[in-house]
Amino acid sequence: MSELENPNENIYSLTKDEEEILKPKKDFFIKGVLIFGGLFFLFSLYELNIDYANLLEGTGAFFAMLIDMFPPNISEWAYVLPAAIESLQVAILGTVIAVVISLVLAFLAAENLAPSLWVSRIVKGFATLMRVIPTIIWALIFIVAVGLGPLPGVLAIAVHSLGMLIKVFAQSVEEMDEGKIEALKASGAGWIQIIAQAVIPTVLTALMSWTILRLEIDIGESTILGLVGAGGIGWELMRAMRSYDFNSALFITMVIFIMIFSVEMLSNRLKLKV
Amino acid sequence: MLNKWKRVIALEGTKDIRRHKRLQTMLIILLVIGLTVWSAIGTDFSVYEVFSGVGLISNFLFLDLLPPDVTTSGSLLGAILETLYMGFVGMVVGALIALILSFLAAGTTTPHPIIQVVVRAFTSIIRNIPGLIWALILVASYGIGVTVGTLSLILGSVGFLTRVFADTLEEIDTGKIEALNATGSSYLQVLAQGVFPQFIPGFVAWSLYNLELNIRASTIIGMVGGGGIGFAIQKGIKLFQYKEVSMAIILVLVLILSTEFLTSKIRERII
Amino acid sequence: MNPILQIENLDKVYPDGTVALSNINFSVYPGEFVVVIGPSGAGKSTLLRCMNRLIEPTNGNVIFKDKKINQASARQVKQIRREIGMVFQNFNLIDRLTVLNNVLHGRLGYTNTIKGSLGIFSKKDIAEAEEILDRVGLKKQKYKRADELSGGQMQRVGISRALAQRPRLILADEPIASLDPASSKNIMDHIYNICTEDKITAIVNLHQVEVAIKYATRIIGIQNGEVIFDGQPSQLTDRIIDEIYHNRKPPLVHAQ
Repeated sequence: MSELENPNENIYSLTKDEEEILKPKKDFFIKGVLIFGGLFFLFSLYELNIDYANLLEGTGAFFAMLIDMFPPNISEWAYVLPAAIESLQVAILGTVIAVVISLVLAFLAAENLAPSLWVSRIVKGFATLMRVIPTIIWALIFIVAVGLGPLPGVLAIAVHSLGMLIKVFAQSVEEMDEGKIEALKASGAGWIQIIAQAVIPTVLTALMSWTILRLEIDIGESTILGLVGAGGIGWELMRAMRSYDFNSALFITMVIFIMIFSVEMLSNRLKLKV
Repeated sequence: MLNKWKRVIALEGTKDIRRHKRLQTMLIILLVIGLTVWSAIGTDFSVYEVFSGVGLISNFLFLDLLPPDVTTSGSLLGAILETLYMGFVGMVVGALIALILSFLAAGTTTPHPIIQVVVRAFTSIIRNIPGLIWALILVASYGIGVTVGTLSLILGSVGFLTRVFADTLEEIDTGKIEALNATGSSYLQVLAQGVFPQFIPGFVAWSLYNLELNIRASTIIGMVGGGGIGFAIQKGIKLFQYKEVSMAIILVLVLILSTEFLTSKIRERII
Repeated sequence: MNPILQIENLDKVYPDGTVALSNINFSVYPGEFVVVIGPSGAGKSTLLRCMNRLIEPTNGNVIFKDKKINQASARQVKQIRREIGMVFQNFNLIDRLTVLNNVLHGRLGYTNTIKGSLGIFSKKDIAEAEEILDRVGLKKQKYKRADELSGGQMQRVGISRALAQRPRLILADEPIASLDPASSKNIMDHIYNICTEDKITAIVNLHQVEVAIKYATRIIGIQNGEVIFDGQPSQLTDRIIDEIYHNRKPPLVHAQ
């Protein structure tokens, strides 16, 4: 009764028995990666030469410190809250500057819009350089150049975010339907007109969600910039830890947690809406 | 009759909606401008200062930082490798811990809703405190060194991976789970034979992404005493050895870019 | 002859208040090939899933071989499920595993938890799984990944998985709803022939009446969660079909 087979069946039944023995190649690759990963893990652990006695002792000390931290000391809120607000301001300003500049540079970086391939490559190269160097290293560089305070923080966030935003904005533009650009080109529109009338409306949603994501990351980053002296709440934490004022440190950490957590909640809300 | 009225109301509505939308857009733009100005005032930001600083910054970049001092690369090599090891160990240990926690934190696989809430809250606290701050807190208990760096990277990985693993587990096709339940399989068998194979691509992809994050984080963890290249950069700046700093930054660049390249190759092959 | 499966006063009300099944009563005897027909949303899937308690019934009894499934412990439910194979509309194979591994999942209920979790099966189980694959014409594909197969082939793996359980009863939930006509015929032929040859009782949900009439030894028509027809395929008149599928009020039916 089962003569009526799927047409594909005949193709398969012609193949030799080898196919039975042949297992998917991917298995070997995954196994190879896993084995190499396992070996490299052991090697790394060996090279790190972690002092396990210290690890044990430190863990005891850590929990003792955690208990010691309670209750949080909120008496210095008059210094901590303004510092938290400064962190927030550093993040907002840095992100806004990065978004504005990247809006121009991304169009020069996108291969389908760049005046020439070389322009695109140079802009992308700079973007990579800015993106790969961590924000806090940028902050160190700017501190040497312009001194301590929130300014190097703003610049560091702006530069690092600029690198990432150019990359992702350019990608969104490159993924765009070529036909839409062609249609405007055919009508004799200029470069700026094409960007304003065709490109921006199409990629606007993507740009907005990247911007929100970036702001979320930057608020996290701005809280740590103070650790190297670039303003904000990180500095307060550094000071509290250095003077072994653990109760204040807990309060500051809680403020940082609330800042980042509420931004995460808020951006989840916004993502649902978009 | 009712339908007709509905249509009329809907037509009237579209005008309102359009006006409403335009108003909303205007409000958002005003809000963004307002926040920016508020931030600029709060941080004493002045465009003038930035432009007058350009000379200083470029002087510093091109005269002090560049060219990098290649002769120091030998001594920096140990530091950059340490950075790599910390990032990798942090990812592996973090992924293993997150693997267990995520099965407890996902609605589809959790043994009990209360366990789910507790695990989610716990990992949310870990995740929403930056790694560098964990390092700063841990330094007080463990002292300066790679232990602190590795531990704070493990914490960061657990916080991040538990969440994304749990989200992946919640997206799993429940029909396939039903099919295995229908054969009379036990809970553990359904997890291992039904859930796990579907989970693997997400597990690998997210772990690799976490490795990238860890490598980035571990380059700076040394600044608060966590070992690795961050310590060398911090020290170089304090001692005004800027050409050594730029050499270290170049090594950071090479490490991060080659990690990104390698992980993207592995991702392509596996998924 | 004793019935293999008895449904007594079965009700299912979902938490949101939807009444999926109300007062279902029928018995299935060994060797029957029962086809349940009805429009989508009539409660066919819920009915089938109440039989092996993938869905918890609200009221009533489901009795398989003299055991009340609805009162069984979790452990007993698993033992009963081993004897009831199930075939799904979306095949529900584990994509990344091999065809053979998917068939062997039918043996998990008989395998020790640890071994089964690690995917270690006895030689006898493997040999039997290969035999079943040979029977449905897929022996050569046994090491392929399940997601490399065509829809018809996937469903044959789904049937093989059910057969690997050595079931007394097979439940098939819309087994051909995701397939093209040629594969559909092929799959129905496989299910019918295997059940006849191995003396397995079958309960199949379908929404195509012609297919139901062709294979069924008995047809149950349900609509809005109630059985409104239960009899031989020959007794199924156009009027009844109309009633099952169009939810017409009686006057309209009479008007035809």
